[in-house]
Amino acid sequence: MPERPRLVFLGVGALGSNAAVACRTLDAELVFVDFDRVESKNLLAQAYVKQSVGKHKAEALKLQLLNFWGAKAQAHAVRVTADNVAALTAGASLLVDAFDNAQSRRLVSAHARSAQLPLVHAAISADGTFGLVRWDERFTPDEEGAPGQPTCEGGEHLPMIAQVSAALARVIQDFVTKQLRRDVMVTLGGVQAT
Amino acid sequence: MATLNITYNGLSADYPLELDAQLTDADVRRIALEVVRAGGIPGLALPALADSAFDGFVVDRLQHGQRIYLRPKVPFGA
Repeated sequence: MPERPRLVFLGVGALGSNAAVACRTLDAELVFVDFDRVESKNLLAQAYVKQSVGKHKAEALKLQLLNFWGAKAQAHAVRVTADNVAALTAGASLLVDAFDNAQSRRLVSAHARSAQLPLVHAAISADGTFGLVRWDERFTPDEEGAPGQPTCEGGEHLPMIAQVSAALARVIQDFVTKQLRRDVMVTLGGVQAT
Repeated sequence: MATLNITYNGLSADYPLELDAQLTDADVRRIALEVVRAGGIPGLALPALADSAFDGFVVDRLQHGQRIYLRPKVPFGA
């Protein structure tokens, strides 16, 4: 592990943005990758503030961390593809997948395995009752239950999103500081190592 | 002795499982339905659980098959 590890967050929506905020005190270089822009509805469940609406999520999160807490980060406001995934993750000590679709998760997983990069995934159920943080060697992406199934965009699931994001941040912290690779699952009953 | 962990409606509990043969995913869902209905899992007793309760749930096999997880799909991150 380098003295100042480079943590690349792939997808900074609900889980990614909240986990990144909780990782701001780590002695690490934070990198955010997301092509999407902040919409008003995202304020209900993601770490963005009203002033960030309209900005690219990656840039907005970078600016918020700097303005609110003085924490520096890097941002790439691009869609991750097979053509750019190697460049976007070059030099990474850890990849953090918080994408909202199985296709992107598979792309990142395939790259991480071929490049031998550590990768941890975070994912939440559609009904907001269950979440997983699991290392790539034990993770298979789940498809949506139905095409167009609503995602965690409303504020209804914010408490569970915050809990899964905090669990993800703790798993990242344990990896950075102790090289531990802990899997956890989150239910309404709490966080449980698996 | 393996352990079957069942997560349903935000609650999760373990059930010790004697494995005498390789269980299919359908077997795991059927066993889970039976034991949850029968009240065999403390904290997760639902006598009126619907036949379709675990449809679409995912079966994970970890620790060389000694830990089996039956859980809802988790398609979302963002």
